[in-house]
Amino acid sequence: MHRNLIAIVFLLLSVTTYAQEKPTRYTLSGYVKDASSGEALIGANVYLKETMKGVQTNTYGFYSFTVDAGDSVTLMSSFIGYNDFAKRLLPNKDYRINIDLVNKYIETKEVVITGKKEDQNVSQPQMGKVQLDIEQIKSLPAFMGEVDVLKTIQLLPGVQSAGEGNTGFYVRGGGPDQNLILLDEAVVYNASHLFGFFSVFNSDAINNVTLIKGGMPANYGGRLASVLDISLKEGNNKEFKAEGGLGPIASRLTLQGPIQKDKSSFIISGRRTFIDLFQRPPFVKKGSNAANNTYFFYDLNTKINYHISDRDRIFLSGYFGRDVFNFKSADTGFRFRIPWGNATTSLRWNHLFSDKLFVNTSLIYSDYKFSFGAKQESMQLNIFSGVRDFNAKTDFTWFPVITHNVKFGINYIYHRFTPTSVEARQDSTEFDLGGVNHQYAHEGAVYINDEWTVSDKFSVSPGLRYSMFDFVGPFTRYVKNGDFETIDSVHYGTNEKVAFYHGIEPRISAKYSITQNASFKASFTQNYQYVHLASFTSVTLPTDVWVPSNDRVKPQDGKMYAAGYFQNFKDNMFETSVEVYYKTMKHQIEYRDGSQPDDDVKNNTDNNFVFGKGWSYGAEFFIKKAKGKLNGWIGYTLAYTNRKFPDIKNGKTFPAKYDRRHDISVVLTYNMNKKWTFGLTWVYATGNATTLPVSRYFMFGPLDLQGIVYNGLPNMTSGQIYDVYGDRNSYRMAPYHRLDISATYNRPKRKRFESSWNFSVYNVYNRMNPYFIYFNNEVDSKTGTYTIQAKQVSLFPVIPSITYNFKF
Amino acid sequence: MKKSLIMMLIGCVLLTTVMFFSSCEKDITVDLPTQEQKYVVEGYIENGLPAYVLLSKTADYFAPVDSVSLKNYMVKDATVIISDGTITDTLMMADPTIGYFYFSTNIIGQTGKTYSLKILTSDNKTITAETHMLPAVPLDSVWFKIQEGKDSLGFVWAHLTDPDTLGNCYRWFAKRLGKDKSFIPPPGSVFDDRFINGKEFNFAFNRGQVPNSNAEDDNNDEAGFFKAGDTIEVKFCTITKESYKFWRQAESQSTGSGGPFGSTAEIPTNINGGIGIFEAFNPTFYTVIAKKPD
Repeated sequence: MHRNLIAIVFLLLSVTTYAQEKPTRYTLSGYVKDASSGEALIGANVYLKETMKGVQTNTYGFYSFTVDAGDSVTLMSSFIGYNDFAKRLLPNKDYRINIDLVNKYIETKEVVITGKKEDQNVSQPQMGKVQLDIEQIKSLPAFMGEVDVLKTIQLLPGVQSAGEGNTGFYVRGGGPDQNLILLDEAVVYNASHLFGFFSVFNSDAINNVTLIKGGMPANYGGRLASVLDISLKEGNNKEFKAEGGLGPIASRLTLQGPIQKDKSSFIISGRRTFIDLFQRPPFVKKGSNAANNTYFFYDLNTKINYHISDRDRIFLSGYFGRDVFNFKSADTGFRFRIPWGNATTSLRWNHLFSDKLFVNTSLIYSDYKFSFGAKQESMQLNIFSGVRDFNAKTDFTWFPVITHNVKFGINYIYHRFTPTSVEARQDSTEFDLGGVNHQYAHEGAVYINDEWTVSDKFSVSPGLRYSMFDFVGPFTRYVKNGDFETIDSVHYGTNEKVAFYHGIEPRISAKYSITQNASFKASFTQNYQYVHLASFTSVTLPTDVWVPSNDRVKPQDGKMYAAGYFQNFKDNMFETSVEVYYKTMKHQIEYRDGSQPDDDVKNNTDNNFVFGKGWSYGAEFFIKKAKGKLNGWIGYTLAYTNRKFPDIKNGKTFPAKYDRRHDISVVLTYNMNKKWTFGLTWVYATGNATTLPVSRYFMFGPLDLQGIVYNGLPNMTSGQIYDVYGDRNSYRMAPYHRLDISATYNRPKRKRFESSWNFSVYNVYNRMNPYFIYFNNEVDSKTGTYTIQAKQVSLFPVIPSITYNFKF
Repeated sequence: MKKSLIMMLIGCVLLTTVMFFSSCEKDITVDLPTQEQKYVVEGYIENGLPAYVLLSKTADYFAPVDSVSLKNYMVKDATVIISDGTITDTLMMADPTIGYFYFSTNIIGQTGKTYSLKILTSDNKTITAETHMLPAVPLDSVWFKIQEGKDSLGFVWAHLTDPDTLGNCYRWFAKRLGKDKSFIPPPGSVFDDRFINGKEFNFAFNRGQVPNSNAEDDNNDEAGFFKAGDTIEVKFCTITKESYKFWRQAESQSTGSGGPFGSTAEIPTNINGGIGIFEAFNPTFYTVIAKKPD
């Protein structure tokens, strides 16, 4: 059946291609760029004014489409926040037209959410795709002054925050590991700094942020829930620019400029926290707690690109970031150091085989490392974990005729996983903890996707992806008995096959236009995910471990059905949509009840997993005002997310920890004048599901018997209280809601120098949102009376912050 | 101690995070569903000593607790029977003046014996359990060592040679003569030989405290430390795998109670028809006099 599907797709493609191919057509192609910096504009519209037909630029700003020979036409281009471009031309030959769009900010300082005149949201068959304007992200309130794209995407319907101040996000009932986060095509395995409060993405270095939360096209795969595709700036190829900023958490500096004007350019952007710089003499006393416990993070983005010719361009980009936490107890001499972070490198080569065939080939390196080194007296302990990928891919974009946009490609990844590995020694005794072990796997995929405009009203985008995962030795499988004790181990030699999985992932989305301004869309997506994130806690921590599919862990298997109605009003000033989805997720993992971190040691992490299924469904309502001084959006999501695991509470269905019934976001920006911009966000979410105790008991432990005589009464107050827990996630904490506001003051430009001040207030009305609940026992030893009180812990009260930014 | 080091990883990370942002908390009211009461069994057989059983019931989470109501949770009307394979004894209810527990006059703990427990309650429930007395694995030596940077405070250290067979489990208790009423297990008192099988090594334990202690030295700089001048008795027990699993989870629950990081897992029990533990354990005793180095 799968084979038939492929055949049908190819047949359709070839038939329609050849049927419509006529000799009296010419190709218009080129790049769309920012006029002042030369940055590629991704997702810009290029179309003919007469027919309103056209395409969007790809990740490199490239467009191509065919026109019929005949009367002269007007080539138009438009993009978020840019002035439109128009050019008359006579289609009597192929044209290569590179378009430079002029930024509106430069002229008017008016922030526009999307300047697109077209009704992209209505006219594209793609569903659930959102492109965010980085300039708008910067004008919204920023938590502790750090502009964060991951926090902004949480304001979109269907996307939920993992928790207070957390950069982790859940898309349509999927876990945080089900989001494919790409930075210039490199997978970022842990996108957070400071235990999740800040993301690793420095907004100064970002050109474009695109989130696909449903109807994932076939060129993406390997994750069930969403794709967050972040492109770094290429570097200004016209003139040298510096920009930077100083906030309460970190300071930033970005330098960019041409190496050879219009030919090659570079960008380098760094960010670092600075609190630790004051945690040393003379600011604090040497040996004091403040000096002994330091924390910092930094990241560095670099990119260079080179235009070899009109047909070939090369990009080299890199990211390196680390968090480092040092602790030393003056009391016990116990000390540790925890560094962790990501490193990625992407080398990409764009090549134009013809005006109709664009190809990009990438070599990508991606690495996430966590380590923990502790020492006390003669005892030493080291813990490591991580993932390292070598990734090669080639992606073709083919524009055979204006009604087809075909993407196809091939991808290969060589993974090396380091599951929790522990080494410990004391003096000369080396403990038997299994040591550092790596696991190896080959992942591959081929895909083809066509965006086919069947008629003025109907367009469809079918896609097929074939993926495979080959887990190979060296590998040791610890065989457990019913008591989870190791009874045997099976060793696989180098390159010996441990497990092999593969599958066909069909994808389809379709659009039917009811009127010019209204359309109905539907999509189906099948995804396989071969890597899994194992987490002991309900929040994302750097200690979470990536685990590959193997002989015990099957690939996650997700199917999503979605439908939506889209309508724009008032000349596209208002965009509205309603989307519904139903999603099933097979082979989900959880840690077995009662598993503790040291159970992962000298063991296969997955021996502590239990497996089950999940399903989610919901509706998302969205209204956006895209034009005018006041713009923004309101999103509302109604969602249900459930899980069922045979080994958890005897297979009783329970709500996932990210089950949120209601989720509301209000996002507004107001551009008062050239100097002042105001921003506001308000969020509301149903309280998190959590597991609470329902009853309790006392235990006294072995009594102190002296012979047959009991030595002292069992002192009732010396009993220890233990809890009996209720059903998993059966308790709801109080709802979460919060208002943030911001004001940005742009100081008028003097010569080349521009600066701005951003004033943000987080949690304006000081809502004490629940982070977790615990129970406090107090005992009056005189009366032997216990009092028990539930306490709700909140993380962040009202927090004002000021950030200064400059540019020259 | 090694285990507690690993556990400290997550603990420290979280603690610091929370401290870093100076968290705020408030009292709230929580509605919890009423649950059916369960029987809680604590049955202990120590080598050379008579078997005894404490039997109680679970309480609603917010039910008031004082010394009177607590006594009411103790079950005093059950029939408790223990057999060591040869002798079967119905345990006697102790005189209430010395506490509510059942004790045996005939079953005395002995290495190598298997014990079975049977409880018949007044509401016609039957509770059963089984345990086994393993041979004691002694410590090679025990000593006190002043902690670096401290004047007179330190930990008790010991040297252990773990037998070559996998599956040994241990529990550590200590008591300061004249200061502590009973042997107290410190946090992380149980460990097994998963990582140390057949090896010899040094390890240290800090000083435990009784729950809810308001003793001065449990609330000042001396908390967790032994002090030069103390006479310390160490009770080092060989325990069963079931006991290890029980106390490991129990201690994890009592230290990490609540929060997104605490465990909400049930404590694994070896009691059929109830919760709690029925265990035989085999201790060896050591006396250490804490001194400053000469």
